[in-house]
Amino acid sequence: MQITFWGVRGSYPVPGAATVRYGGQTSCVEVRAAAGEALIVDAGTGMRALGNKLLQEATQAQHHHVLLSHVHWDHIQGLPFFSPVYIAGTRVSIYALLTAADELHQVIGGITRHEFFPMSLEAVPAQFEFHQVEPGVDFDIGAFHVMPIALNHPFGSVGYRVDADGSSWAYIADTAPFDRVLHKQHFLAGPEALSEDDRLALGAMRDALILRLQGVDTVVYDTHFTEEEYRRFPHYGHSTPDQALEICVAARVRRLVLYHHAPSHGDDQMDRLAAEYLRKGAGVGVEVLTSFEGMTLPIGPDAERQLA
Amino acid sequence: MKIRFWGVRGSFAMTGRDFLRYGGNTTSVELVTDAGERLLIDLGTGATELAKQLMAAEFGGGKGKLPILLTHTHLDHIQGLPFFTPFFIKGNEIRILGANPTLGSSLEATLQNQLSPHYSPLNGLENLAAGVSIEAITAGEAIAVPGFEILTAAVPHGSMWTTAYRITADGKTVAYLSDVEYPSIDAPLESALALARDADLVIHDAMHADHDYELRRGWGHSPARAGVVVAEQAGAKKLALFHHSPDATDDMIDEVVARTAARSAVPVFAAAEGSYLEV
Repeated sequence: MQITFWGVRGSYPVPGAATVRYGGQTSCVEVRAAAGEALIVDAGTGMRALGNKLLQEATQAQHHHVLLSHVHWDHIQGLPFFSPVYIAGTRVSIYALLTAADELHQVIGGITRHEFFPMSLEAVPAQFEFHQVEPGVDFDIGAFHVMPIALNHPFGSVGYRVDADGSSWAYIADTAPFDRVLHKQHFLAGPEALSEDDRLALGAMRDALILRLQGVDTVVYDTHFTEEEYRRFPHYGHSTPDQALEICVAARVRRLVLYHHAPSHGDDQMDRLAAEYLRKGAGVGVEVLTSFEGMTLPIGPDAERQLA
Repeated sequence: MKIRFWGVRGSFAMTGRDFLRYGGNTTSVELVTDAGERLLIDLGTGATELAKQLMAAEFGGGKGKLPILLTHTHLDHIQGLPFFTPFFIKGNEIRILGANPTLGSSLEATLQNQLSPHYSPLNGLENLAAGVSIEAITAGEAIAVPGFEILTAAVPHGSMWTTAYRITADGKTVAYLSDVEYPSIDAPLESALALARDADLVIHDAMHADHDYELRRGWGHSPARAGVVVAEQAGAKKLALFHHSPDATDDMIDEVVARTAARSAVPVFAAAEGSYLEV
């Protein structure tokens, strides 16, 4: 199995000279099994370039499977620009955490309402199917075994552990850490005091995450903030590289990939963060890489064989 | 009056080396009068860059006032709204003016929907700390904004209508005609010509290179040539090609400008992200 990053930015796309090397498009990762089967995780703006590549490669209309962490704009905005959907015969299965698949249909359809986009979902030639996922309830998509994991983000978010070809990786975005703020179904103007139940809920979420990450080769993690930024915005629903590293050490993960970079983090700052956390990770036995647009990672343990 | 293009790209924000000279941010244009009054048109991703500058000045302290005109609510024109940081500071007063969407619903309902809890943790306009007023306008009527005289017109954009603006201040006039496609390139609508009449600068949709247009006729956008016809017939002094296609790299835009200018009686340039220009 291997993964390729098509969008690594958080919140909104950031053009310009400061993002040329790490990339400015938002969340989108392509997953490939050894036999060629594909999965897409998140439908941020990086999905446009992925769609153009898939369309070039394809000899016939495909069935695309898209796992969504949640439906904030930066994770779904690429869908209307995913060129395969304009080819008749294309099928798109979308998986997300919502109370019902029907609601998901409305939410995804909502981004192409006439106010927002010239062509409605119903008018698009591709056929869409919607699937509700539930943390703790595993499912299979072809060669991939998918395990949804509850995360701590405003109005809910879900991570995924994906196993295939005897290797595994996990996508943990978007999430806040599991100590200071418990995100629920309302707007937070600032951190709210935690009740005893909130603390228990956070502890249970962290335990379940670590349990699911046991033995995973590579973890892609929301590390939007620096420590200093997190202290100012602990209620925004994102983590830092230190918080991600702490989880990976607890779960004995081999490799951590920093992901969902803040829009304000230019290439030079990303270089410094990459170097700092490569060093910090080495100190605790975790290889820390920093994702950039176009990066392809073979997923262990049989990485060498797949590369060949 | 000065103008600054913060976003000139249509449809989709483009990143990377091929889009550095003209810029990859979606539409957002700032106008500033000699007295310092400010007006913003559209809230594409370019607005997030302007936001940094505003926050370093009076908007950071909650003392900013800003009117924003929207041409319509397609995402590339409002994508920057949830990340326009002056909205998060109490005391700032921000007006958003635009027509209700053509096919029903209201401007306010549409922006609320953009910030609905599914799509945004902001969970609604009411959670923006600044004073925000959403003001539905009727295209065709004049708008009162301190420091600026503004005329409006509805122009066709595929199956819907967008609002075009004629903005005058300090004795200079800018016409903003983004997201428009006329039934015939050679015969632009009288309403568009009226807005552009004798303007110092016409900013015009130029999504398509002329040779790419035939395949994309009816999609709601103009070829570069359409702006030339408007500027020439309206007696405008200068034309800015605008709303560049996401597929148009810097080199491709250079080529479009060269070809367009060769057939234009009005000086032509391609709008680019950059510094303040005197109108």
